[in-house]
Amino acid sequence: MTELALVLLGGLNFGAIYALAALGIVLIHKATKTVNFAHGAFVLIGALGAYIVQVQLSWSAWLAYLLVPPAVGALAALIELVLLRPLRRADAFSVVIATVFLGIALSEGVRLIYNAELLTVPSPFQGAPFLIGPVILTREVLWTVAGSLLIGIGTTLAFRRARVARGMRAMAANHRGAQLCGYSVDRTYALAWFLGGALAGVAGVFAAPAKGISPDLPIAVIAAAFVAAVVGGFDSLKGAVAGGLLLGVVETLAAAYGDSALKNAISFMLLFVVMLYRPEGLFPEVKTRHV
Amino acid sequence: MFSFKRKSTQRGSLALPLTRERRVDARGFSRWAWLAPSMVVLAVLLVTARLGSYPQYVASLVISAMLTGTGLTLLVGYARCISLATGAVLALGAYGSVLLITAAGVPLLPAMLGGALLAGLGGFVLGVPAVRFRGHNLAMITLVFQSVVIILIRESTGLTGGAGGLTVPAPSIAGISLSGDLAYLVFTAVVVALVLVLPMALLLGRFGRNLRAVSGNEVAAQAFGISVPHHLVAAFVCSSLIIGLSGALQAPVFRVIDPDTFGINTSISTLAYPIVGGMGSAWGGLAGGAVMRALPEVLRGLADYLELFFASLVLVTVLFFPGGIAGQLFRLRHRHGGQVTRESVPSAASPVARPAAGKALPDTAGIALSIDGVGKQYGALKAVDDVSFQVREGEIRGLMGPNGAGKTTLFNIVSGFVEGDRGAIRLHGETLPSGSPVTRMSHGLTRTFQHVAVFGEISVYDNVAIGLGGNGIAPVLLGSLLDPFPGGDARRERARIMAALDSVGLAHLARAKARQLSLGDQRRLEIARAIVSRPRLLLLDEPVSGVSEEETGQLGLLLRRINREQGITMLLVEHNIGFLAGMSDHITVMAAGRVVCEGEPASVIDDPAVQEVYFGKAGDA
Repeated sequence: MTELALVLLGGLNFGAIYALAALGIVLIHKATKTVNFAHGAFVLIGALGAYIVQVQLSWSAWLAYLLVPPAVGALAALIELVLLRPLRRADAFSVVIATVFLGIALSEGVRLIYNAELLTVPSPFQGAPFLIGPVILTREVLWTVAGSLLIGIGTTLAFRRARVARGMRAMAANHRGAQLCGYSVDRTYALAWFLGGALAGVAGVFAAPAKGISPDLPIAVIAAAFVAAVVGGFDSLKGAVAGGLLLGVVETLAAAYGDSALKNAISFMLLFVVMLYRPEGLFPEVKTRHV
Repeated sequence: MFSFKRKSTQRGSLALPLTRERRVDARGFSRWAWLAPSMVVLAVLLVTARLGSYPQYVASLVISAMLTGTGLTLLVGYARCISLATGAVLALGAYGSVLLITAAGVPLLPAMLGGALLAGLGGFVLGVPAVRFRGHNLAMITLVFQSVVIILIRESTGLTGGAGGLTVPAPSIAGISLSGDLAYLVFTAVVVALVLVLPMALLLGRFGRNLRAVSGNEVAAQAFGISVPHHLVAAFVCSSLIIGLSGALQAPVFRVIDPDTFGINTSISTLAYPIVGGMGSAWGGLAGGAVMRALPEVLRGLADYLELFFASLVLVTVLFFPGGIAGQLFRLRHRHGGQVTRESVPSAASPVARPAAGKALPDTAGIALSIDGVGKQYGALKAVDDVSFQVREGEIRGLMGPNGAGKTTLFNIVSGFVEGDRGAIRLHGETLPSGSPVTRMSHGLTRTFQHVAVFGEISVYDNVAIGLGGNGIAPVLLGSLLDPFPGGDARRERARIMAALDSVGLAHLARAKARQLSLGDQRRLEIARAIVSRPRLLLLDEPVSGVSEEETGQLGLLLRRINREQGITMLLVEHNIGFLAGMSDHITVMAAGRVVCEGEPASVIDDPAVQEVYFGKAGDA
């Protein structure tokens, strides 16, 4: 029982990071109808930001949480401006290709600058872990899970309520209609990419102590985040959070009670099963039908 | 619900490409174009055979990459499916052939064929999800396949050597060793030169044409009997067979193969081949494969920056040169290429090529189309509510009604795109199967679309060729391979296609790409595509929506002439009531899912029930 609880906690820890990454993908997809295959690279850059702030500059870990997300968000908005805006009239195919290779270019750039197999970032907490009966709950895990959940809930609420998000909501519901009502595509897209990038940045800062920074990080994150997004329904923010947590737990369970191969394969099995039997995901968005 | 989305988007923008793009179609190749890539491969062999051992080693890899690239052109360039599983498919080919040699003692060539077949089987598994998923979902499923195959190879240590790799035995054929760089280069070049003719024939022939039709407009492709799932699965299988063979050919060059050789990075770098080479061109993957496999060896000093360079190269290509290398080359060749407009408007008197077996004019009062008690409900909305009427053979029947009357739904039920809840559709007494657009063409029913649905990336000629039918996957694949040879019915088809183009006044634009035409000409092209098979019933969905008044008159004359001279029965939906009244022998009026009136145009328009439908009750205003 104790062991299971520990495994579950570990799973939630990774799941929280997946959830944040998936949240960014879903947010960008909702508002701009673009699937961002470069999202893994954004997370990598976020993690690198944590390394720069905490290790290279020796600043407080909290500054990383404060500074890195807006920086990654700004980078994402810049990329939208320079790379994706010219492609807006092209078909979805070219856009997917562009984001795939954008991701490669960004991760390669990082690899060339920080030529290291693995960069480690210390945990922001040094205090003793909490003991709940026999179960050890480290401060880091508590912070990651609780922080991610708060950000996830906050994003969902903000998307639903906030004035600035109204344009994104409108675009998500009816792209052309939103344009006709005077919502600027340029501004909405830039905002969506900024927020999506910022979420990737947060995910990176959370991931840095837990996973370390390695060249494998982008593909591992993009695959997991995509699975989480599909499981959640792809256009549902709360679905992305739930999907991410579920995936983290399932993966960790597979690793603990199966082997590493099962851990790698299980997320894909999950994706396959969901796509075949419930392609609308766990939290399908209600679509209105145009007759 | 107002149907703003369907009725009025994008009309104005459709004519734009004409001014931007004036190149003539790049597929004006001679009949022997499919041999050219093999010649290029042999030329590479002749050049590098005189050089040292290292260039020969590189040349083997480059030639294999040209084969991989050609396989990817089929799938990525033509079918426009993003595959992230190329590494796994290469691995299936490589591991399959090596294991057949080492574990089963199979000779080299059959072993390589076996590896290719294993990869082809993998392609089938990959292709099945393509029936349901498109775009980024399909891309992710191919990534699943990639990861699972590599995990399986890594885990089955007993068979594949796991992560440690598998030693490839020195290649030899009938006792002759091929282990020298030159010997293996000659072997690779000869095999690739021989094999390349197959994918090239597929790309340049009917299969390539149909794949581009499917990736351009799935709905229109179905209406002309192209089964989208069959074509996509076939694209995955054919492309995987070719890529698998390429993997088998590469294995002896590597000497040791391990899972990392075929990882996701390989998938992504090979995905760049058809993009950098040129998406719309049969040569794209070949050119891209050659360039992108040769460059790393040329730029060895900069090895560290290569991946960044390649990724940037792809981004620059997508952004600034969407035609890729091949597109740039053809642009040079066709700089002074033809302009794509109709210089002379064919008058109503221009000769119409009469089809060989022109049917007798229909005064027989035979019933062409019979709609019996058809109904369709969406939730609480009865879109079509118990509609029955009959269209006589040879007549032009107009169908009108205000927005939401159920015309389009009825139209889609007749053409098979929507499954009716009740009732039956009979064409010349034959009941049409419900909800199967692909079979409509074999029953002699074709249609045009409210929003023009020509296949933009293929030539005007090929658009009409698709209208001829025979688009089942087996005849298409076989036809692609047999067409290059003299004989067969290619010439007769050509005469029919040109006759259909002539009858709509587009014969001189046969080689232009369909997207280069003006909207009016695209409407004409749709008509040519729909009549070339001499259908028994032609469904016209708002054939003059969005075209100028002058053009409307001409299209009207054209349709009437086709109706009189070829005896094709027509069912016509149109909002332009003047046009409809001038065209139709009889008009059926629908409102709120029901037929409210039927008869001669003049009497229908004067009918109080019809006036009420359109203008409200007399005196209301």
